[in-house]
Amino acid sequence: MSNLQWFIKYRPKSLAEVENQEEAKEELKSWMESWIQGKPKYKAVLLNGPPGVGKTTIAEALARDYNMELLEMNASDSRRLNDIREIAERASTSSSLFGRGGRLILLDEVDGINSRQDAGAIPGILDVIERSKSPIILTANNAWDPSLRELRTAVRLIDLHRLGKIPLKKILERICKAEKVICDPKGIGAIADLSEGDGRYAINMLQSIAEVYRKVTEDLVKDLVRKKDRTLDPFETLRGIFWAKYFWQARSASTTSEVDYELLMRWLSENVPVQFDNAEDVFRGFDALSRASIFLKRSKLGDWDLLSYVFDLMGPGVAFSESSKSSGQWKAKWRKYQFPTYVQQMSKSKDSRDALKIASEKIAKATHCSSDKAITDYVPFMKFMKVEGFSAEEMTVMGSLEVQGNQGDEKGERGKETRTTRSRRTRKRT
Amino acid sequence: MSTLEDALWTEKYRPRTLSDVVNQKEIVERLKKFISEKNMPHLLFAGSPGTGKTTIALALVRDMFGDNFRDYFLELNASDERGIDVIRNKVKEFARALPGKEVPFKVILLDEADNMTSDAQQALRRTMELFTSTTRFILACNYLSKIIEPIQSRTALFRFYPLKKEDVVARLTYIANKEKVSYDEDALEAIYDVTMGDMRKSINLLQSSSAYGKVTVESVYKVLGLAKPKEIEEMMNYAIQGDFANARSKLRELLITYGLSGEDIVKQMHREIVGGNSLKIPEELKVVIADYLGEAEFRIIEGADDDIQLSAVLAKLSILGSKYVGESASK
Repeated sequence: MSNLQWFIKYRPKSLAEVENQEEAKEELKSWMESWIQGKPKYKAVLLNGPPGVGKTTIAEALARDYNMELLEMNASDSRRLNDIREIAERASTSSSLFGRGGRLILLDEVDGINSRQDAGAIPGILDVIERSKSPIILTANNAWDPSLRELRTAVRLIDLHRLGKIPLKKILERICKAEKVICDPKGIGAIADLSEGDGRYAINMLQSIAEVYRKVTEDLVKDLVRKKDRTLDPFETLRGIFWAKYFWQARSASTTSEVDYELLMRWLSENVPVQFDNAEDVFRGFDALSRASIFLKRSKLGDWDLLSYVFDLMGPGVAFSESSKSSGQWKAKWRKYQFPTYVQQMSKSKDSRDALKIASEKIAKATHCSSDKAITDYVPFMKFMKVEGFSAEEMTVMGSLEVQGNQGDEKGERGKETRTTRSRRTRKRT
Repeated sequence: MSTLEDALWTEKYRPRTLSDVVNQKEIVERLKKFISEKNMPHLLFAGSPGTGKTTIALALVRDMFGDNFRDYFLELNASDERGIDVIRNKVKEFARALPGKEVPFKVILLDEADNMTSDAQQALRRTMELFTSTTRFILACNYLSKIIEPIQSRTALFRFYPLKKEDVVARLTYIANKEKVSYDEDALEAIYDVTMGDMRKSINLLQSSSAYGKVTVESVYKVLGLAKPKEIEEMMNYAIQGDFANARSKLRELLITYGLSGEDIVKQMHREIVGGNSLKIPEELKVVIADYLGEAEFRIIEGADDDIQLSAVLAKLSILGSKYVGESASK
């Protein structure tokens, strides 16, 4: 089995194979002809449409049909002005338009540009369009985003339709045939219904079922496919990661979760020992999470590009900690996942943690040390000392309340009691 | 009963001036020259905990500026300040007001400077240069190797060596007599042995043990036993026996109830391996565990999440436990 995602493997090679976008195809062809004749109607077109309707596919097919090199930049991946400038440079120095050396420029997902964070990106793109001697295709999920107003006036807008059920079924059946998957028309129909015109989503769903079961039936689809346009709840996310057979499956589960990455890390940390039975697997799972948390810290220090690796390690990193997965005999194990208790414990213990923090800061200030040092070097001994200046709650969390006022040998035993009552209290709370 | 500063013997008996400092003689002599010249370079104090870095910095400032020293002195702890920007702003704010007439500069003590990342230290270096006409920095650290070269080369280095046994015992004797606490000689030596010469820990232990009436070897160990979270050892035992769930609930107690940082938990686990005799495990296993604890501490310093990284440690202990101790341990 190849690791290639099917929606890439079966991407139309030519515009003629693209389903369901006849008007857009006609308009693009006549736009290309106008370039060939040396009188381009517009320098740039903006393909507008929801995810999975074939925007990138069309641009690639067009480049292949006209034998051009595709210069591609995903605007939401690297939005740096310099990258855009560089493309502008290359675009303006193009010698021949078509055939060898001819170029088609693709700026993908321009609505992913954050106008505040990437100030200058839109003017940069306008500059590219202005100076370019090659045709340019831009894509957007929502061309009517206010931040694209200036851009809209500089390009020709071409709308792409959601894929209808009939073309979607046609695509899925063709893939089933090529992959020798037994497919029940009702199963295919159910996928088409659930994917709401998103071809990529439909093909991914087909692949995720077919690769495990070698067949696609209506029941399997109903069990395994969630409705589109909804992010994964934490339980679905965990299943998506732990049950993943491919890197991309685990990764997309981790990136499409409704749980943010920090909380997702806690969910995974809680459930790694729930899912894995083998101690080595558990260790590898935590090791991957530990690496993920290091990359998260580095991202927070300013290098947000590193967030990408956080998802790699949280998703696929955890998914492939299970050593038996590569054996061929592997089967997904159903487990009852738990809410991260660490998060619950942290929120329930907030009052006493705050009290401890205040107490340690008081000690730190009086003794010229850090509050971490106060916790290790002073707090454990406070129960033996007669001190003022702490609230009752602070005294309790330091375990010193009951010792106070008791003299002599009794004190040691008292200290012990304090510890026991304290841990009992904590247990009850959690 | 009184303020915290008076109640804690570590503060009550902290030497106030350089002349009161009984050890670190060479350092004190060099610093006294700065006092007489009313000038000094940036200073870097390096040495283990409890060797007198902060005490000597405070005494130096007091000797330099007299009783109003607080007007010319800013104390920061790198472990508590949130990031270099906070430090930079505080320094900027402090440096804005002019220095006094007699001494033409003000002093900033930045403690635990080796807890700063090297990027933050680079930024600190620029800040030091920016305000160098009106301020002097005293940087204190445990590990000189964690201070970047450009800072080392711009500061005068003072190495603080561990205190000798007779110095610590003499100080403890002095305090015990002042506080009218009775003690056994060998108890004071026992204190030195368990604190490995850390003066802060030694005085704390003396004061805590005195709660039993007399400071004896027995009372010292009793205090230690009650002060040390027993959860560290319990957690390690559960993990080695392969009981991950119980091991992790002990871990949560240490993180949440005791408020210990991940780094401190790793260090205390390390102490169990090095000095403890309660873990019944083969010697060669101790080596393997120590190796992984080192990796864990390194990662936590790098920014790994405490709970996740320590869970990895516990899972590692489970693997090693079944390998070295065998299934018999899992009863």
